[in-house]
Amino acid sequence: MARESAHIRATCIEATEFMDLSRTFRVTGVPKTVVNESIEILGALPEEMFVREVLGLPEAESPPEA
Amino acid sequence: MSLLSEHDRQVVRDHLARIQHRVTLLLFTQTIGAPETALMARQVLDELASLNDLIRVEEVNFVLEKDRAAQYGIDHIPAIVLLSDDTDTRMRFLGAPAGYEFMSLIEAVILAGTEDSQLDPQSRALIAANVSAPLEIQVFVTPT
Repeated sequence: MARESAHIRATCIEATEFMDLSRTFRVTGVPKTVVNESIEILGALPEEMFVREVLGLPEAESPPEA
Repeated sequence: MSLLSEHDRQVVRDHLARIQHRVTLLLFTQTIGAPETALMARQVLDELASLNDLIRVEEVNFVLEKDRAAQYGIDHIPAIVLLSDDTDTRMRFLGAPAGYEFMSLIEAVILAGTEDSQLDPQSRALIAANVSAPLEIQVFVTPT
Protein backbone atom coordinates (compact mmCIF):
# COMPACT_ATOMS: atom_id res chain seq x y z
CA MET A 1 0.00 0.00 0.00
CA ALA A 2 2.95 2.32 0.71
CA ARG A 3 3.98 1.72 -2.90
CA GLU A 4 0.58 3.05 -4.09
CA SER A 5 0.46 6.29 -2.12
CA ALA A 6 3.14 8.72 -0.97
CA HIS A 7 0.97 9.37 2.10
CA ILE A 8 1.31 5.80 3.33
CA ARG A 9 4.13 4.51 5.48
CA ALA A 10 4.23 0.81 6.36
CA THR A 11 6.35 -0.77 9.08
CA CYS A 12 6.66 -4.46 9.81
CA ILE A 13 7.49 -4.91 13.50
CA GLU A 14 8.94 -8.03 15.06
CA ALA A 15 6.63 -8.18 18.08
CA THR A 16 8.82 -10.23 20.44
CA GLU A 17 11.82 -7.93 19.92
CA PHE A 18 9.84 -4.78 20.72
CA MET A 19 7.76 -5.71 23.72
CA ASP A 20 7.26 -2.06 24.64
CA LEU A 21 5.53 -1.37 21.31
CA SER A 22 3.61 -4.65 21.56
CA ARG A 23 2.32 -3.63 25.00
CA THR A 24 1.46 -0.11 23.88
CA PHE A 25 -0.67 -1.46 21.04
CA ARG A 26 -2.02 -4.43 23.04
CA VAL A 27 -0.68 -7.05 20.66
CA THR A 28 -2.17 -10.35 21.85
CA GLY A 29 -1.82 -12.21 18.57
CA VAL A 30 -0.17 -11.82 15.17
CA PRO A 31 -0.47 -10.52 12.60
CA LYS A 32 -1.89 -7.42 14.22
CA THR A 33 -2.15 -4.22 12.21
CA VAL A 34 -2.42 -0.77 13.78
CA VAL A 35 -3.32 2.24 11.62
CA ASN A 36 -2.46 5.77 12.79
CA GLU A 37 -2.19 4.32 16.29
CA SER A 38 -5.98 3.99 16.43
CA ILE A 39 -7.55 1.45 14.04
CA GLU A 40 -6.68 -2.12 15.09
CA ILE A 41 -6.98 -5.17 12.84
CA LEU A 42 -6.26 -8.62 14.25
CA GLY A 43 -5.42 -11.48 11.90
CA ALA A 44 -4.91 -11.76 8.18
CA LEU A 45 -7.74 -10.70 5.86
CA PRO A 46 -8.39 -11.00 2.13
CA GLU A 47 -6.79 -8.06 0.33
CA GLU A 48 -9.84 -5.91 -0.35
CA MET A 49 -11.22 -6.36 3.18
CA PHE A 50 -7.83 -5.46 4.60
CA VAL A 51 -7.52 -2.33 2.45
CA ARG A 52 -11.03 -1.22 3.49
CA GLU A 53 -10.26 -1.75 7.18
CA VAL A 54 -6.98 0.15 6.93
CA LEU A 55 -8.72 3.04 5.19
CA GLY A 56 -11.58 2.98 7.72
CA LEU A 57 -14.15 2.28 4.99
CA PRO A 58 -17.34 0.25 5.44
CA GLU A 59 -17.36 -3.33 4.23
CA ALA A 60 -18.17 -3.85 0.59
CA GLU A 61 -21.73 -4.96 -0.08
CA SER A 62 -21.72 -8.71 -0.45
CA PRO A 63 -22.33 -9.90 -3.99
CA PRO A 64 -25.83 -11.26 -4.66
CA GLU A 65 -26.28 -14.97 -4.06
CA ALA A 66 -25.66 -17.00 -7.21
CA MET B 1 29.10 -18.03 5.99
CA SER B 2 25.84 -18.33 4.12
CA LEU B 3 22.52 -18.48 5.99
CA LEU B 4 20.79 -20.19 3.08
CA SER B 5 21.54 -23.45 1.29
CA GLU B 6 22.80 -23.15 -2.30
CA HIS B 7 19.42 -24.42 -3.48
CA ASP B 8 17.55 -21.73 -1.54
CA ARG B 9 20.01 -19.08 -2.72
CA GLN B 10 19.17 -20.00 -6.31
CA VAL B 11 15.41 -19.89 -5.64
CA VAL B 12 15.71 -16.41 -4.12
CA ARG B 13 18.07 -15.28 -6.90
CA ASP B 14 15.47 -16.30 -9.52
CA HIS B 15 12.75 -14.56 -7.54
CA LEU B 16 14.77 -11.31 -7.36
CA ALA B 17 15.51 -11.34 -11.11
CA ARG B 18 12.46 -9.06 -11.72
CA ILE B 19 14.11 -6.10 -10.01
CA GLN B 20 14.86 -3.20 -12.36
CA HIS B 21 15.77 -0.45 -9.89
CA ARG B 22 18.57 -0.13 -7.38
CA VAL B 23 17.36 -1.14 -3.92
CA THR B 24 19.23 0.19 -0.90
CA LEU B 25 18.63 -1.41 2.48
CA LEU B 26 19.44 1.18 5.12
CA LEU B 27 20.18 -0.63 8.36
CA PHE B 28 19.92 1.62 11.42
CA THR B 29 21.97 0.23 14.28
CA GLN B 30 24.69 1.34 16.67
CA THR B 31 28.29 0.33 17.32
CA ILE B 32 28.21 0.11 21.10
CA GLY B 33 25.42 -1.71 22.90
CA ALA B 34 23.56 -2.78 19.77
CA PRO B 35 21.01 -5.55 20.33
CA GLU B 36 22.05 -9.04 19.19
CA THR B 37 19.32 -8.92 16.59
CA ALA B 38 21.14 -6.07 14.83
CA LEU B 39 23.96 -8.45 13.89
CA MET B 40 21.42 -11.01 12.73
CA ALA B 41 19.70 -8.34 10.62
CA ARG B 42 23.04 -7.40 9.04
CA GLN B 43 23.74 -11.04 8.12
CA VAL B 44 20.29 -11.43 6.54
CA LEU B 45 20.68 -8.21 4.53
CA ASP B 46 24.20 -9.12 3.38
CA GLU B 47 22.93 -12.50 2.20
CA LEU B 48 20.15 -10.81 0.22
CA ALA B 49 22.54 -8.29 -1.31
CA SER B 50 24.87 -11.11 -2.39
CA LEU B 51 22.07 -12.52 -4.57
CA ASN B 52 21.43 -9.52 -6.82
CA ASP B 53 23.79 -6.78 -8.03
CA LEU B 54 21.07 -4.10 -7.73
CA ILE B 55 20.72 -4.64 -3.98
CA ARG B 56 23.09 -3.03 -1.53
CA VAL B 57 23.28 -2.57 2.23
CA GLU B 58 24.22 0.66 3.98
CA GLU B 59 24.63 0.77 7.72
CA VAL B 60 23.56 3.97 9.46
CA ASN B 61 24.73 4.75 12.99
CA PHE B 62 21.56 5.49 14.94
CA VAL B 63 23.47 7.35 17.67
CA LEU B 64 25.82 9.44 15.52
CA GLU B 65 23.55 10.08 12.55
CA LYS B 66 20.49 11.43 14.35
CA ASP B 67 19.56 13.60 11.38
CA ARG B 68 19.16 10.56 9.14
CA ALA B 69 17.20 8.71 11.85
CA ALA B 70 14.88 11.72 12.05
CA GLN B 71 14.67 11.99 8.26
CA TYR B 72 13.32 8.45 8.04
CA GLY B 73 11.37 8.57 11.32
CA ILE B 74 13.43 5.83 12.98
CA ASP B 75 13.23 5.61 16.78
CA HIS B 76 14.04 1.93 17.42
CA ILE B 77 16.86 -0.36 16.26
CA PRO B 78 17.57 -2.50 14.41
CA ALA B 79 15.46 -0.84 11.71
CA ILE B 80 15.57 -1.35 7.96
CA VAL B 81 14.45 1.31 5.48
CA LEU B 82 14.04 0.36 1.82
CA LEU B 83 15.06 2.87 -0.83
CA SER B 84 14.30 2.57 -4.54
CA ASP B 85 16.90 4.44 -6.61
CA ASP B 86 17.66 6.43 -3.43
CA THR B 87 14.01 7.40 -2.94
CA ASP B 88 12.27 6.38 0.29
CA THR B 89 9.67 3.67 -0.42
CA ARG B 90 8.14 4.27 3.04
CA MET B 91 8.51 0.55 3.75
CA ARG B 92 10.31 -0.36 6.96
CA PHE B 93 11.15 -3.38 9.08
CA LEU B 94 11.76 -3.20 12.82
CA GLY B 95 13.80 -6.11 14.17
CA ALA B 96 15.73 -8.88 12.45
CA PRO B 97 13.77 -10.22 9.46
CA ALA B 98 14.30 -13.90 10.29
CA GLY B 99 12.07 -16.90 9.59
CA TYR B 100 8.90 -15.99 7.68
CA GLU B 101 9.89 -12.35 7.87
CA PHE B 102 12.73 -13.11 5.49
CA MET B 103 10.06 -13.89 2.87
CA SER B 104 8.30 -10.60 3.65
CA LEU B 105 11.62 -8.77 3.24
CA ILE B 106 12.19 -10.40 -0.16
CA GLU B 107 8.70 -9.32 -1.26
CA ALA B 108 9.37 -5.79 -0.01
CA VAL B 109 12.67 -5.69 -1.94
CA ILE B 110 10.81 -6.74 -5.09
CA LEU B 111 8.19 -4.03 -4.50
CA ALA B 112 11.00 -1.51 -4.06
CA GLY B 113 12.83 -2.74 -7.16
CA THR B 114 9.81 -2.67 -9.49
CA GLU B 115 7.05 -0.18 -10.34
CA ASP B 116 4.23 -2.56 -9.49
CA SER B 117 2.51 -2.50 -6.08
CA GLN B 118 0.99 -5.93 -6.93
CA LEU B 119 -2.37 -4.82 -5.51
CA ASP B 120 -5.70 -5.62 -7.16
CA PRO B 121 -7.16 -2.82 -9.34
CA GLN B 122 -9.98 -2.48 -6.78
CA SER B 123 -7.51 -1.88 -3.94
CA ARG B 124 -5.60 0.68 -6.00
CA ALA B 125 -8.83 2.54 -6.73
CA LEU B 126 -9.82 2.57 -3.03
CA ILE B 127 -6.41 3.97 -2.07
CA ALA B 128 -6.44 6.60 -4.82
CA ALA B 129 -9.93 7.74 -3.82
CA ASN B 130 -9.53 7.71 -0.04
CA VAL B 131 -5.97 8.55 0.98
CA SER B 132 -5.23 12.26 1.14
CA ALA B 133 -3.49 12.49 4.52
CA PRO B 134 -0.58 10.61 6.13
CA LEU B 135 -1.38 7.01 7.02
CA GLU B 136 0.90 5.08 9.33
CA ILE B 137 0.45 1.31 9.07
CA GLN B 138 2.20 -0.87 11.66
CA VAL B 139 2.03 -4.63 11.25
CA PHE B 140 3.11 -6.70 14.25
CA VAL B 141 4.46 -10.13 13.35
CA THR B 142 6.54 -12.95 14.79
CA PRO B 143 9.21 -14.88 12.90
CA THR B 144 7.57 -18.31 13.25
